[in-house]
Amino acid sequence: MRVLTEVVATLSHLPGVVVAMVVGANDGLIVETTGIKGADGAQDPRKHTAALAAYLYAKATRAADAARLGTPAFMRLEAEQGHICVVGAGEVVLVTIVTPDANLGRVRLDMMNAARGNL
Amino acid sequence: MTDPTVAEAWVAAPLRRLMEDARLISGVLLYPSGRAVGQFGFSNAADVMSICALTSAINASSRELGRQLDGKPFYETHHAGADRQVFMARCAAGAQEFLFVGVFDRESSVGVVEIYFAEFQKTLENLKPQTEVKGKGPSGDFEGELNRSLDALFGPIGKR
Repeated sequence: MRVLTEVVATLSHLPGVVVAMVVGANDGLIVETTGIKGADGAQDPRKHTAALAAYLYAKATRAADAARLGTPAFMRLEAEQGHICVVGAGEVVLVTIVTPDANLGRVRLDMMNAARGNL
Repeated sequence: MTDPTVAEAWVAAPLRRLMEDARLISGVLLYPSGRAVGQFGFSNAADVMSICALTSAINASSRELGRQLDGKPFYETHHAGADRQVFMARCAAGAQEFLFVGVFDRESSVGVVEIYFAEFQKTLENLKPQTEVKGKGPSGDFEGELNRSLDALFGPIGKR
């Protein structure tokens, strides 16, 4: 658990990263996360993001498999006010919510390093 | 996916939305007494009857277990099987409490089901049952209540 806490802490310190989470790949439940002030309980938006991001990543994995592309390395959802980035790491997925002006290259590199256990 | 069949029309739309959004294979909404209010994914009344009876019993047991272990009732239960998973939770419309049991597979996840069930709970809270349920507790006629609700869902015995 300490390793996951460190991964989340490291990712959350990257410029532009608002939230960093480790999420169960199969159940979509949060394993480890950084905090958001005022967000807690059933209304916590992180719970929704975590579950749906893990779900999307599972679907993207199936799409990549159907296209015979192998496992997705990195998934980025671009929205009006930021991005959701997801990287698979076996039984878990790493999820970050980042601002539009974040250094996406750095976020991508560090998330992939974390998924490989290099952080 | 088949449309839900309901004994009370006001639950049809929320139940359909929950089924579609959460990618549930089957589900039953029932009173804590075991009387079915709506279902989807089942074509056999006997299956729904068994599920209602078991859900009602599991709900009573898990609440008591929660009280014993944690000092407060457990309101939500999740069981992950090899292929399929079961999610059970309570919800309310006005003062009336309901139970829901849903089955899903790898097309969904417990996290996704929890999200859409929370929306279903909110929707139900803003709706009111068409008929007020008399009395707060079970009537004591468990089998009679169960059979009446199954008649409403699948038609009377002999015509099912």
